[in-house]
Amino acid sequence: MGKPRVAIFDFACCEGCQLQIVNLEEEILGLLQVIEPVEWREAMSDKSETCDIALIEGSITRAEDAERVKRIRARAGVVVALGACATMGGVNKLKNNFDLHDVKTCVYGEAADMPHLDTMPAMAVSEVIPVDFAVPGCPMSKTEFTCIVRCLALGKTPVIPTFPVCVECKRNENVCRYEYNEVCLGTVTRAGCGAKCPTAGGWCFGCRGLVDDPNVNAARDVMEQYGKTMADLDDRLALFNSKRE
Amino acid sequence: MIRKQVTRQALDAWVDGLIAAGRVVGAQKKGGRYAFDDLRRAADLCLDYDVTILPPKKYFLPPKEDILRFSDGRYESVSDAAPFTLLGVHPYDMAAIAQMDKLFAQDNRDEHYLARREQATVVVCDIERMSPNIFAASVGTATAADGCDALITRVGRAYVIESHTAKGERLLAGLAGAPDADAVTLARREQLWEDNARLMSRRELRVEPRRLPRLLEDAYDHPVWEEKASQCFACGSCNLVCPTCYCFDVQDDVEWDPSRGVRRRVWDGCMLTDFATVAGKHNFRKNRADRYRHRYYRKGKYVPEKIGDFSCVGCGRCVSACVARIADPVEVYNRIAEVQ
Ligand code: SF4
Ligand code: SF4
Repeated sequence: MGKPRVAIFDFACCEGCQLQIVNLEEEILGLLQVIEPVEWREAMSDKSETCDIALIEGSITRAEDAERVKRIRARAGVVVALGACATMGGVNKLKNNFDLHDVKTCVYGEAADMPHLDTMPAMAVSEVIPVDFAVPGCPMSKTEFTCIVRCLALGKTPVIPTFPVCVECKRNENVCRYEYNEVCLGTVTRAGCGAKCPTAGGWCFGCRGLVDDPNVNAARDVMEQYGKTMADLDDRLALFNSKRE
Repeated sequence: MIRKQVTRQALDAWVDGLIAAGRVVGAQKKGGRYAFDDLRRAADLCLDYDVTILPPKKYFLPPKEDILRFSDGRYESVSDAAPFTLLGVHPYDMAAIAQMDKLFAQDNRDEHYLARREQATVVVCDIERMSPNIFAASVGTATAADGCDALITRVGRAYVIESHTAKGERLLAGLAGAPDADAVTLARREQLWEDNARLMSRRELRVEPRRLPRLLEDAYDHPVWEEKASQCFACGSCNLVCPTCYCFDVQDDVEWDPSRGVRRRVWDGCMLTDFATVAGKHNFRKNRADRYRHRYYRKGKYVPEKIGDFSCVGCGRCVSACVARIADPVEVYNRIAEVQ
């Protein structure tokens, strides 16, 4: 079996996840032992008609993006979404909470109606095309990314945690943020980050999205027990888990 | 048996001596709570802690450990077991370690656990302060310190330090010059044990643990499982902080050269969604309530049937760790005993 041919594509995002690939530094040599890059705008000028694995970063927020990502799907074997924007819409979905025209006017003022600024509600890649695997996180974790790539290169199905961040907080012996009377999204957010934010003294922002079977009702119910309101919870959820559409 | 009586100052000097001679871990302050960690000086040791976030099981069964390394078709078992002193374990945690000792030596011996255990000298300290959710007195683990190598008890301003094993005696060698404990202090220590055995419970378990296997047998369809589980995040915190929970997952990680890699084990928990997922993605405890019930069955029935001990030592950690406030064994077992 030859090395899988890999192409990397970007959509609406900060390109921080691609940067994580660049940040692999000497590990890139390892990466090149198991894959053959055939298209990657940030790093090479080659283009390719087809690829075994398409790594897609960013969310879909313009009609032409939707068309482009469909074409990518058609010429790729396996599609992997990279990072919060691609896997769930990420911060781009914040705009979905408002009237689109208001959003554009706020940013572009009088130029808001220029045709090249045409936009639609932000979507995760999986809301437009079928996606085979996801590397969640904002930005995605290098360790998780490399592990998933190695699995794919070996023909193994990659597995990412299905449990919440609490597990990793416990493994790190963190004091629970709720003991400080803070609202933390760790109880419903997919682990895999190593509970970075709580370990550094903050609360979980939910950048890896919800677990497969989140108990959002319980998350709301506990607000009251901690003297908080649903609005406190919804405010925190809005950053990465804004309403889908 | 060596039985010394020392001031805090003399105790600290002894501990500093132990630290100079090797690795010593003890309870220290952490973010307003306490945690076991490597001691750099005796002054950091808190013998008056109420409860640590994690139990000392992390020194015998670490949250993550490499158990096997493989390369080019060959593999070798790896273990980092090395001598250390675990200082100031509460009696309930000692009871939990004693249970794990039995379980890990049964059937397939767990060499990784047993090697670390072998290397450890465990010093128990009697509880000075009640944690917010302790109920050790209700389950008989507020004082018994079977299995420890040495025991420290604070009696007024003095500390009684006594050895229970040869390892403990070696540890106490540095106290050779200290006076033997006097009769008055020892009598006060007896009294303290009696008090602790009676008082170290915030709540009372109203059912004898030895009746639980039978009661649980008939409680499979009790409404409490669904009721509580509806609020459960399946976050596993109640498992992970528990001194008697030891489940782990085994994962392989290959290097870029796929003929090389490690097999590691990481903490797992029966409350987690995929704990019981097997090949083919079949999950035989798919519902939260099934998993929620399983945890109580394990503590109250399965482990007792295997080793004879009630597998909840009453530390109360799960009660504090559960954000949803539904993980209290006293409440649940009392509910089950009530109806029947
Ligand atoms: S079940 Fe709860 S109270 Fe009992 S030993 Fe485990 S953590 Fe402690
Ligand atoms: S700690 Fe509470 S919410 Fe988390 S799994 Fe245990 S019972 Fe459920």
